[in-house]
Amino acid sequence: MSDAVLAIENYSLDYLLPQSEPLQVLQDISLSVQRGEVVGLVGESGSGKTTLGWSVMRYMAANARERSGRILLAGEDLCQMSAPQLENLRGGKLGMIFQDPGASLNPTLTLGEQITEVLIRHRGLDARQALELGIQLLSHVELKNPAAMMKRYPHQVSGGEKQRVLIATAFACEPQCLIFDEPTTALDVISSAQILALFARLREETGVASLYISHDLALVSAVADRVCVLEKGHIVEQATARTLFLSPQHAYTQKLVAAVPDPAHRLTDATPVSAQPLLSLQNINIDYGRHGLLDRLLRRENGKTRAASDVSLTVHRGEIVGVVGESGSGKSSLAKALTGLVPFSGKVDFNGYNLSGRAEMDKDYRRRVQMIFQHPDASLNPRQRIGEIIARPLRLYGLPEGENEAQAVARLLEDVRLPASFARRFPHELSGGQKQRVAIARAFAHPPELVICDEITAALDVSVQATVIELLLELRRRYGTAYLFITHDLNLIRQIAHRVAVMYRGDLLEVLPGEAMAQHASHEYTKALLAAVHTPEKAITEHL
Amino acid sequence: MRDVMKHLILSPQGAVGLFILVVAALMVCGGAHIAPYDPESISILARYKAPSAEHWFGTDQLGRDIFSRVMVGARATIVLSLLATLMSMVTGAVIGTASAYLGGKTDEAIMRTMDAVMSIPSLLFALLIVSTLGQSSFNAVLAITIAFVPGMVRIARSVSLAARQQDYVSAAIARGEATHYIILREMLPNIVAPIIVEATIRVAFAIMLFATLSFLGLGAQPPEPEWGLMVSEARAYFFNAPWMMLIPGVAIALVAIGFNLLGDGLRDALNPRSH
Repeated sequence: MSDAVLAIENYSLDYLLPQSEPLQVLQDISLSVQRGEVVGLVGESGSGKTTLGWSVMRYMAANARERSGRILLAGEDLCQMSAPQLENLRGGKLGMIFQDPGASLNPTLTLGEQITEVLIRHRGLDARQALELGIQLLSHVELKNPAAMMKRYPHQVSGGEKQRVLIATAFACEPQCLIFDEPTTALDVISSAQILALFARLREETGVASLYISHDLALVSAVADRVCVLEKGHIVEQATARTLFLSPQHAYTQKLVAAVPDPAHRLTDATPVSAQPLLSLQNINIDYGRHGLLDRLLRRENGKTRAASDVSLTVHRGEIVGVVGESGSGKSSLAKALTGLVPFSGKVDFNGYNLSGRAEMDKDYRRRVQMIFQHPDASLNPRQRIGEIIARPLRLYGLPEGENEAQAVARLLEDVRLPASFARRFPHELSGGQKQRVAIARAFAHPPELVICDEITAALDVSVQATVIELLLELRRRYGTAYLFITHDLNLIRQIAHRVAVMYRGDLLEVLPGEAMAQHASHEYTKALLAAVHTPEKAITEHL
Repeated sequence: MRDVMKHLILSPQGAVGLFILVVAALMVCGGAHIAPYDPESISILARYKAPSAEHWFGTDQLGRDIFSRVMVGARATIVLSLLATLMSMVTGAVIGTASAYLGGKTDEAIMRTMDAVMSIPSLLFALLIVSTLGQSSFNAVLAITIAFVPGMVRIARSVSLAARQQDYVSAAIARGEATHYIILREMLPNIVAPIIVEATIRVAFAIMLFATLSFLGLGAQPPEPEWGLMVSEARAYFFNAPWMMLIPGVAIALVAIGFNLLGDGLRDALNPRSH
């Protein structure tokens, strides 16, 4: 333990709440990070993992009270340090990299200004030296044309590039310890794989000690040497990544490991779905922006962006079709076009309906095609009670035979395994998973034939995600509903989908069988995508 | 509703605001019974009397008891200003939300019309309307309403634009809801908080605008004990009898503060997240 760069000893932290007992966020946390080591910190939302990261940075909420413990950086107690000492330390010896690179860079300053500021502040360089070193650092994180990059503003570069700039800044001052707070969550699969490779290389070179915070157990197991599992502020298990995956000791860890989607473990039965097509899309094009008369008169460039071009896809009755692709690939636009939220051109054939525009979508079509959105916070009106939200489609499409509205709402809530008393609550009184169940109940108020799920589990914890998926599969068994399941989580989709469509920059590249996706992948992009994903299987073999 | 009242009373701003407005409401309802003198009886012997046990708030240039005038005048001032604000709030919120929801050309047309109305100073616009429709308190109320609508529309629209992006609106469209349902039931409840806060500030403006109209002879007519009119009439006597102007002025300020505090309290009480 003597050469530990970062050591946290019996650390406890409370949040003081008005009119109630203090909330114990962290309790008796002890962990240490050696030089050159990566320690993963895994937990679900609310487990206190980010709070711990901020405690190390000594930047805490105003109502935080430390009960006990010490945080040592290279033998010095951070809790005893004065504010100016800490300011010297932060960004210098101690760095932090955040989840959303877009939010952690100032949009009004160029990337160059933001890097050189750190160098001038912590390395004592003058402006010219800082500029030269900055360019050198950017080329070190494998950014193309670093000198031009220095002059750009954050909105002019991609998310992956922003995260590289932040990593370059963090490594610029030769830190002893870095804290990564979900650095790849906001990035697409391929760029996050590249960021992780870059991080592994820099770690070898500099021997920095890092604390890697994430909710993704498979990812952390691939990145970290040791993993700490955090549950409600307690460290319940601490082991090497491989041991943790192969033989989790604590019940909570076992639950987490079991919930990680494993493509080898299929959740849908192999029985073939009916060959009767339910929805077929022919050459669907979706454009954003418009080329107005004035623009044409002034011979301005056509400002239209094509979100999806010539997409043709068929969904059969009761079939689960996955749509995967990185952000900006047009998968969400496709969902919006099918529910009439954005205009499209092309032909949609839905079970006898021939639609060639959104004006032709009538109430009957809308009843039979339902959509569930990504963020249940946003898709449930915060001013309406749960009962009102679920009753709305019943009023629109008619009540089922022999039931009044209150009975129907209670039955729907029970169908999604929520107590009927929730009808009187407001959405903010529910957890994320419960809210998503309400959204599912609303979609199934009048059993639809097709449900479009737009990243519905992306905002949820793994264990909650597993139960939501289980619920969807059960509803499918009961009503024979087909799903168009849009996601970026390849592991998950390989577990449940009969067929998977891969989209890239608005094009539909290929449609593969969900069960044997890896074997049938022919397109380069699909192969790269599959290679970049961390599966539990890979996480184990890599550590052998 | 009971929840909202409970939270309103528990918050300090809400409690103080509610107290001031309850007092104001008592004046509105029972002012004429509380008033010790006839607010319009002239007394040559009791001119310019400073506040005393006999005349609590003193007397004015015609020897009328100011306390009685303030009590009786509460009805005209508060009720009419409140009515004007309420009307402009409801109209403005609905038009603004509809404009944000419909978007495109409809939005452009509505907003440019509002800009045109806004470019005319509200007092001038109110004068124009009153002189067209004829002099009366109700026409003054109508004038203030129309003059206030564009501001309300702007605020409602800017807040609604954010609500428009929310998935619950998309979900309602995808479900096939009617336009009026989406505007009135999905979007409006989510934007009431800023609108109510804005409206409570506007009540104070409405009182002043109403007073100005009265001063110009287009609202309340002179012997009537309207607060704004009293301030206007007392201007000339400010140096020898400052209470004549101060007392109705303080009354206006207190009512305005009361509405502001109530607005703050309501903003918190109406937000289900803060419970």
